[in-house]
Amino acid sequence: MKARTRAAATLLTPFFVLFTVVMLIPIGYAVWLSLFTEQQSGLGFGGSETVFTGLGNYTAALGDRVFRDGFLVLLGYCVVYIPLMVGGALALALLLDSALARAKRFFQLALFLPHAVPGIIAAMIWLYLYTPGLSPVVSAMHSGGIGFDFFSPGGALPSIVNIALWEWLGYNMVIFYAALQAIDRSVLEAATVDGASGGRIAFSIKLPLIRSSVLMVVLFTIIGSLQLFTEPLILNTGSGSAVSSSWTPNMYAYTAAFSRNDFGLAAAASVLLALTAALLSFVVTRLTGRKGAHA
Amino acid sequence: MNRSWSRTTLSIAGAVTALAVVTACGGSGDDSDGGGTGTAAKPVTITFWGWAKGTKEVVDAFNASHKNIRVKFEETPSGNAGGYAKISNAIKAGNAPDLVSVEYPQLPEYVSQGGFQDIGKYFTEETRKKFLPQAVEQTTLGGKTWAVPFDAAPQAFFYRKDLFEKYGIAVPKTWDEFKSAAEKVKKADSKARIGTFFPDDPTTFEAMVWQAGAQWFKADGDTWKVNTTDGTTTKVADYWQGLIKGGLVRTDASFSPAWTNSLKTGGTIGYLGASWGGGVLGSTLPEQSGKWAVAPIPTWDGKPASGMLGGTTFAVPKNSEKAAAAVEFATWMTTTEEGIKARISSGTSSAFPAALSLRPAAKKAFDTEFYGGQDIYQVFEDGGSAIAQGWTWGPSMGTTNTTLKDQFGKLAGGGTTVPEAVKAAHDATVAELSKRGLKVEG
Repeated sequence: MKARTRAAATLLTPFFVLFTVVMLIPIGYAVWLSLFTEQQSGLGFGGSETVFTGLGNYTAALGDRVFRDGFLVLLGYCVVYIPLMVGGALALALLLDSALARAKRFFQLALFLPHAVPGIIAAMIWLYLYTPGLSPVVSAMHSGGIGFDFFSPGGALPSIVNIALWEWLGYNMVIFYAALQAIDRSVLEAATVDGASGGRIAFSIKLPLIRSSVLMVVLFTIIGSLQLFTEPLILNTGSGSAVSSSWTPNMYAYTAAFSRNDFGLAAAASVLLALTAALLSFVVTRLTGRKGAHA
Repeated sequence: MNRSWSRTTLSIAGAVTALAVVTACGGSGDDSDGGGTGTAAKPVTITFWGWAKGTKEVVDAFNASHKNIRVKFEETPSGNAGGYAKISNAIKAGNAPDLVSVEYPQLPEYVSQGGFQDIGKYFTEETRKKFLPQAVEQTTLGGKTWAVPFDAAPQAFFYRKDLFEKYGIAVPKTWDEFKSAAEKVKKADSKARIGTFFPDDPTTFEAMVWQAGAQWFKADGDTWKVNTTDGTTTKVADYWQGLIKGGLVRTDASFSPAWTNSLKTGGTIGYLGASWGGGVLGSTLPEQSGKWAVAPIPTWDGKPASGMLGGTTFAVPKNSEKAAAAVEFATWMTTTEEGIKARISSGTSSAFPAALSLRPAAKKAFDTEFYGGQDIYQVFEDGGSAIAQGWTWGPSMGTTNTTLKDQFGKLAGGGTTVPEAVKAAHDATVAELSKRGLKVEG
């Protein structure tokens, strides 16, 4: 028994050390930072003094319309992005898994490939593809009579959804496809023998059987969406467009810290965002868990 | 522990990764004695961050001619494109280099946050006298010296000489003429525009306001007076609003793919910039060599007047223990002929030194081929002596400029106007100054 405890301790220590160093301490430091603000005197050139402000930074962040608008942007983004992502990845995975598919390996790889491109590079590639006068896509659209401005106020959200889809569709498709492959073939054969069509099998047999994968992808996509940062930041610096420097809550924290040098406000905004993510994932898991009980 | 709970934990863990990115651990070093300036036997190594054209050549020249100090140069993105974020982060984390490049508008922000050290000890009266007084005025805040000024950055109007001639358009001397020239350009070629209003770089607009004679920030005792609603600012804001609304100028981001492309294709045939832009244009558009020329920036009454657009200074972050060596290197870069020659002979820089005695050397080292042999340093010289005095940058330009930038981004879509954007920046600035506990009127 003693030896077992020691083995467990040895195996768990690296995890807890890393977890403490890269997770707990930074979070603790962020919470600590969020409770202070800088005060200056005179004309402000005598350096600054750090003073305790309690929840002052939190009320400042929540009272800032720009920060609240960031959550609205995220809401709009999720409403557009999540159905497209989950629906698209599911459709592709089901197609690949169907008896009709040819060259499965090729398509699997081809669809997954964009995910191998780092987000920041993907965003820069798309920045060029969105720029009128440079982009073959935009000129093709223009000659086809479609005058869509990717950098216009209304175009920013679809532009970013498109980049995110390009990056993540293949990845999620692979998760779904792996889950579909794991389905017991005898169940599918039984359905075929009973006369179920391909579509019926997909919707009534396969989908319910990979429900847990779908939930996981939805959850991760929501969390990922909350952290939306790289793509809009690149569009912000590269286009001077309607994507403002505080377009999403994460960008708000970044701008507060590194453009406005207000680290307390940035930390408070980050903590609020993290709490939102925690709350949302709690709600999602609870809701879906209950549904599962009835199914 | 049920499954949904462990999943929640996982999700929390995922979401707070953002925190780990935003926060940075580390304490900050205290000021020390400055670390001395080293000897040949025991050289001091300093790290230097910058992005200005020709910097690498300057560092190489310094290292070749000096044995007591070794400079390690690390190129950063330009300030506006992420360089300042990097500096702020490093200062907060306590691992900033020994010398950084900061433009005049951003300097007061860093000083007021306590990010830099007072370098008065190493910046002698003799050195001070070498510089244009306006430049020293901008680097002396609250009676202390915070940075070594490098260039003076008078505004200038760069234009495609060949196309202006082809379209039969005279180079505008006043802003009224500029507007009618803009109309003529558009008329001559419906796809061409005379220039660009950079939504991402508010300092371009601020230089226009400065040139016109406004003073947004004034220190009165220990109170900041913020005034952006004066007649002069309103006049400049209305003027640019008119040009943007009339579709007479582009609204691409500065140095963006869209902007560069429109220059390459003749869609933009002018550039309202500053002295340093001369080298940038040349290295961006080598194939258009000989087609460009420089004119003084248009003015409101036809008499020479200029603001300063950007302009680099060198400052020592608070955690550096090698201030003496850093300032010695900065002084060499900014006040010696070798320093300026090394930078300008790189062929990519057209910096206009703030040290008056270096101007002939700079002029001599600059290859004027791109400008068809034009003496562009004479244009800078005239602009430099017409820089309006009395302009002060406020201590919260980070907030002011971020707000302006966000508002300007909405101009193209008609979401706001230039005067409204200025108003929003004004309000954000006043709020920020009060939040910091400073006295502010405006």
